Amino acid sequence: MFKAKRRTVVTVTAVAAALLGGALAATLLTSGKTNASDTPGNTVEYQAGQRPLVPNLTGKSLTGASMNLSSYRGKVVVLNFWGSWCSPCRDEAALFAGASQQYASKGVTFLGDDVGDTPANALAFTSSQGITYPSFNDPGYAVVTQISQVVPVHDTPTTVVIDKTGHVVGTIIGAAKYSELTALLRDAGVTQ
Amino acid sequence: MTDVHAPQSQPESAAAEDEAARSFSLDQTGTAEGGSGRTTPPPAANAGWLRWGWRQLTSMRTALVLLFLLALGSIPGSVLPQQGSDAGAVQQYYASHPSLAPLLNHLGLFNVFAAPWFAAIYLLLFASLVGCVVPRTFRLVGAARTPPPRAPRNLARLPHSSTYNSALAPDAAVAGAAAILGGQRFRLRRSASDAKDHWVSAEKGYLREVGNLLFHLSLLGVLLSIAAGGLFGYKADKLLVEGQSFSDTVSALDEFHPGRLVSGDDLAPFSVTLNSFTANYIDSGESRGQPSNFDAGVWYTSSPGAKPGTYHIRINDPLSVDSLKVYLIGHGYAPEFKVTGADGKVAYEEATPFIPANTGNFESDGVVKAPDASLGFMGVFEPTVFSANGTLTSIFPAADAPAVSLIGYYGNLGMNNGVPQSVYQLDTSGMTKLSGSPHLLTPGQTWKLPNGKGSITFVGVKQWVSLAITYDPGQVPALVCGILALAGLLLSFFVRRRRVFVRAVPAASGTGSVVTVGGLTRSDASGGFEEEFAELAAEIASAEPGNKSENSGA
Repeated sequence: MFKAKRRTVVTVTAVAAALLGGALAATLLTSGKTNASDTPGNTVEYQAGQRPLVPNLTGKSLTGASMNLSSYRGKVVVLNFWGSWCSPCRDEAALFAGASQQYASKGVTFLGDDVGDTPANALAFTSSQGITYPSFNDPGYAVVTQISQVVPVHDTPTTVVIDKTGHVVGTIIGAAKYSELTALLRDAGVTQ
Repeated sequence: MTDVHAPQSQPESAAAEDEAARSFSLDQTGTAEGGSGRTTPPPAANAGWLRWGWRQLTSMRTALVLLFLLALGSIPGSVLPQQGSDAGAVQQYYASHPSLAPLLNHLGLFNVFAAPWFAAIYLLLFASLVGCVVPRTFRLVGAARTPPPRAPRNLARLPHSSTYNSALAPDAAVAGAAAILGGQRFRLRRSASDAKDHWVSAEKGYLREVGNLLFHLSLLGVLLSIAAGGLFGYKADKLLVEGQSFSDTVSALDEFHPGRLVSGDDLAPFSVTLNSFTANYIDSGESRGQPSNFDAGVWYTSSPGAKPGTYHIRINDPLSVDSLKVYLIGHGYAPEFKVTGADGKVAYEEATPFIPANTGNFESDGVVKAPDASLGFMGVFEPTVFSANGTLTSIFPAADAPAVSLIGYYGNLGMNNGVPQSVYQLDTSGMTKLSGSPHLLTPGQTWKLPNGKGSITFVGVKQWVSLAITYDPGQVPALVCGILALAGLLLSFFVRRRRVFVRAVPAASGTGSVVTVGGLTRSDASGGFEEEFAELAAEIASAEPGNKSENSGA
């Protein structure tokens, strides 16, 4: 009787210990799925020599004109993925409106990619925010799919800075801050 | 003469080989049964502890405890709201149980099936099953190759036995019986040709072990398939209005639930455009208003630049593209609005998805946000509007007489502070109401807003569908393994291991021999061995004309 009881206690203890060990192992294995290239904040920088080449993005602008990225080769391009429905995009809009004016003389071109939106809503947005640079009309995320072959664009907004040779210098995930944008532009060889 | 008697219990003095003949367990191959759950006191050495721990883990008892824990652990998953399936309900639970909810959250009870402790249970169960099945596989293979045991000395003691006199010498009589048993695909073992006693052992029903093996291996296959689905599969949802398209990228999806080893870069780069959606409803009789057909006409490309294809997604008829499936899981109405601001410029022009309330006739709620004109509207859409005592309702789910009732707001929509907002909710805390009562619009009508704030036009009605995109590489293997497991289980249930022994001794008269046939089966729950044995014994006896046989059996 005593022996049987002890056996049960031993078995239950063993199962509990194994469970705890397993739980600990599972916790350690499943936590910390981080991207090593993430710098503090929400910027991803690519080292020179490892910068991916952006495919030629093509599409129509919000006003129906043809747009393609390769026509901007030779200039540093800031490509912002946004939508008029997206609050963080509204938050960063003033920054892009100002920066596009400030950097115009320094050979930097600003472009937008308006996702999940209608041209009417998007033009109301650009006009009220004072954004004058063109944007792709991308309601079905086709341009996002094109660029996602080389850099992940998983959130709206996301900003991609492309150097003069068409390589990605870095991306800003979420609403951009002025310091993050200038840091990437500096990496692309643009002086303030 | 027939002498019927009950099977006798083996006396203690019975020969060891008699025991071996009776034992069908796998122990006869010389290895211990791992699944017996025996507990020996742990030895002191570390390796001994490890071996003891492993034996504990792979014991049947532990497997059962883990299986029970798995069932127990699943209960909170069905009782409490889960983050993955209904995040809103979790928020609600937080609001109504402010002190209990954080504690439950700490224990992972709002996301049970992704909780480490739940993973620990099924991983341990998996380890336990592997530890049980793999050694068992080797033993089963060994058992399937083992010849039958030697014939027991006294066959009359077996549950089924029969005796007859043969005119043949013992070795010839046994040879005749062996030929008959061999003809019936029994596996045979004969006494040595120069031995004094003559016997043959025959065994049949090895398929039982094969079935057992198949069941265990398939069970492992099912677990591996489910694990593969969980690790490499993903699920996503997308709401799509007629005329809209989307590409399978994370930012385009409304919901994305990747497997542990899936990242957003692994998505198949297909795109889908919803050309049209048709829902038909029964328009008369008792079932009036019940849906009779859904059909989402789409065109799709498997990758950018690929040749587009067309498909009609229906309930239980998903679109298969790039080895994933796109299911139709919901639908609703998206009234189209055009909003102009105080300056007369268009500030909003879009078909806006409204979410059906739980009424069955698709009365739906939604909001229109035109932040660039500082306008916002809360609306109720009625596909077939009916006014009863001033209250609007929908009396049929089809858009036969659509109307939308709007309440207008002017001011700050709170969309400039950078905090993401739901597209189905309007934050009116910084806004003022434009009119006291709701304004009703039918398609083509415009509401000129008071004080020159602009206008809103109800342009028309489109429909939306909700698509579920699933990629589960484990689905087909799990199904195949499930079927194989069932087949294995049926084999092990219905096939009996049965042994027949024949022993011949010289007759007392000096010529001929006395032949005894004995039969034994491991379990005969479904019955039938008695008849099989009787027929077999009769066949063996009748192979020699003129023989009399004496049957006994239970």
